[in-house]
Amino acid sequence: MFILGFLTRRILQGFIVLFLVTFAIFTLLRVVPGDPARLIVGGMAPDNVVAQKAEELGLNDPIPVQFITYLGQLVQGDMGNSFLRPKSGAIVGASEYDDPTRGNRAQVLDLILERLPLTLQLAGVSIVFCLLIAFPLGVAGGLRPGSWMDRLAFFAGSLFVSMPNFWLGIVLAMLISVKMGLLPSIGYKGFSYTILPAFVLAIELAPFVIRTLTVSIAQVMQEEFITIAPIRGLTPFRIVFAHAIRNASIPLLNLFGIQLGTLLGGVLVVEYIFDYPGLGLLTINSVLQRDFPLIQGIAIFISGIFVFINIIVDLAATAIDPRLEY
Amino acid sequence: MDIKVKNMVQPSMDGMDLSVSPAKRMWILAWNSAAFKFGFFIFGALMLTALVYPEFSSVDPTKMNYRARLLPPIFVGDWTSAHPLGTDQLGRDLLLRCLVGLRYSVLIGVTTVVLMFILGCGLGLVSGYKGGVIDTIIMRLTDAQLSIPMIILAIAVLGVSRPTVPAIIIVLGMAGWPLYARVARSVTMSERQREYIRGERVLGASDWRILFLFIAPAVLPPIAFVAILDVARMMIFESILGFLGLGVQPPTPTFGNIIADGRKYLINAWWVATMPGIFLLVTLTSLNLMGSAFEKARNQVLKGEH
Repeated sequence: MFILGFLTRRILQGFIVLFLVTFAIFTLLRVVPGDPARLIVGGMAPDNVVAQKAEELGLNDPIPVQFITYLGQLVQGDMGNSFLRPKSGAIVGASEYDDPTRGNRAQVLDLILERLPLTLQLAGVSIVFCLLIAFPLGVAGGLRPGSWMDRLAFFAGSLFVSMPNFWLGIVLAMLISVKMGLLPSIGYKGFSYTILPAFVLAIELAPFVIRTLTVSIAQVMQEEFITIAPIRGLTPFRIVFAHAIRNASIPLLNLFGIQLGTLLGGVLVVEYIFDYPGLGLLTINSVLQRDFPLIQGIAIFISGIFVFINIIVDLAATAIDPRLEY
Repeated sequence: MDIKVKNMVQPSMDGMDLSVSPAKRMWILAWNSAAFKFGFFIFGALMLTALVYPEFSSVDPTKMNYRARLLPPIFVGDWTSAHPLGTDQLGRDLLLRCLVGLRYSVLIGVTTVVLMFILGCGLGLVSGYKGGVIDTIIMRLTDAQLSIPMIILAIAVLGVSRPTVPAIIIVLGMAGWPLYARVARSVTMSERQREYIRGERVLGASDWRILFLFIAPAVLPPIAFVAILDVARMMIFESILGFLGLGVQPPTPTFGNIIADGRKYLINAWWVATMPGIFLLVTLTSLNLMGSAFEKARNQVLKGEH
């Protein structure tokens, strides 16, 4: 019963957040300079064509009216059409006036869903890498506070968090792909293309995990149920893995919810560096090309994912530790 | 947490006088740690060089010299070269460009954090002190802000408008204030209940006097380390924006645009993209060491170990 109340409350809050995001990004994109109608028909089009297109798109209506129209379409799952991208998927730059694909623009939602799997794959692999790097450091540091392992974890964390991700990406692509030829790095033709970008992302995420693990493991180890565990005859291995890490994993889950923004920012930059055709690259290109419906759609879609994942994180935390309340 | 520690008699490991307030103990502890001193020394040296060197150098960081294109750093080639870190594709001195970039980076980083700090703490103080409807509105606002993918907003706004220094500061500042608001609010709420505040109110102190004279100082310690770490975070964001072409525009050198340019010459002249990155890495590491030393000291003080 609790869970139902919790879910209704959180989903309602989620919709409010989504509404605010939609409102914020919609207003922002209309306040900043740049004429969407001119963008759609191309720079060479005569003025009357531009004016006609603006009328057609309803750009002459007051912003509140436009906003309500957009919301109406949004509830029906229609995020509109891209300004620039044709259905064929080919990327056009600044399009020509007589571009034959002009009447045939791709749906924003299709564009997003098409890129999503690659980004999820990148994020997933990077989280695995991140845990592989951070777990040994964080757990070792937390078990022996003040030891050289703790210090190593501290300095590794400080170094990783100071690493500009785009720079690391460039340098690694240079060393590992170009000089040594070990891994491919530009574009996407198979799973191996995910490894290098995922590693760069993992380095960016690792310091947060190391810090949280060190602190929470150190804290759990002082709790009574851990200090009396040897008396119950449990092996140190079992104490650490079955009890300490299990309890320390809740702050880790919460961290995941909080650091989603970092992950997203990293995905944008890393996909851009490695020309990895996921959602991040689509976002950056849509911003650079001022493809307003696409920017809007992506922002709303990603906020939706944020809200969804944060609800899941809270549910998972209560599954691990039933003492937590909704 | 704070209240408990203050009233408990704790044996101090290094014999530090426990009559000293926890906040002061935290400053002393942080100051005495090797990581803090190390970070402080490096950051200080870098800032001093960045302030002094470009002023006394005879070269202009934007001056091109086609005969000195892509010269290697002195430790690779010629030890007598006039360019310690080498030159870029237009023959501009890399050390000088990095130092000027560092100025912009620190300027933007620090100003942004000050903006977030004032905005966040102000809203947090009011929210925690007043409570009620105001509190609910401000807190829902922070919730919403935290679930907005700010990076998309930032690049969207800077992508369509001309990125100037104030624009970058405002956009980055808007992204970071909710965290400060939350911390300030929780400290205010616990501080508000305390005996001496109630005493002040009985004595007739106004709300503003209580907020600024008594509660605001209590907010500082838990936020100090966040602020130092955030300066580093904002400097990274600034360099990312510069790299995407959405930062301070060329010919002004920033870490981001130097690296973006140098990327094209990576095969023949690795130093153009690599050197600014190492420069930035060292600066940020020094800042992060200071911030983390603070965080550690605070955790120790709160746990009552010192």
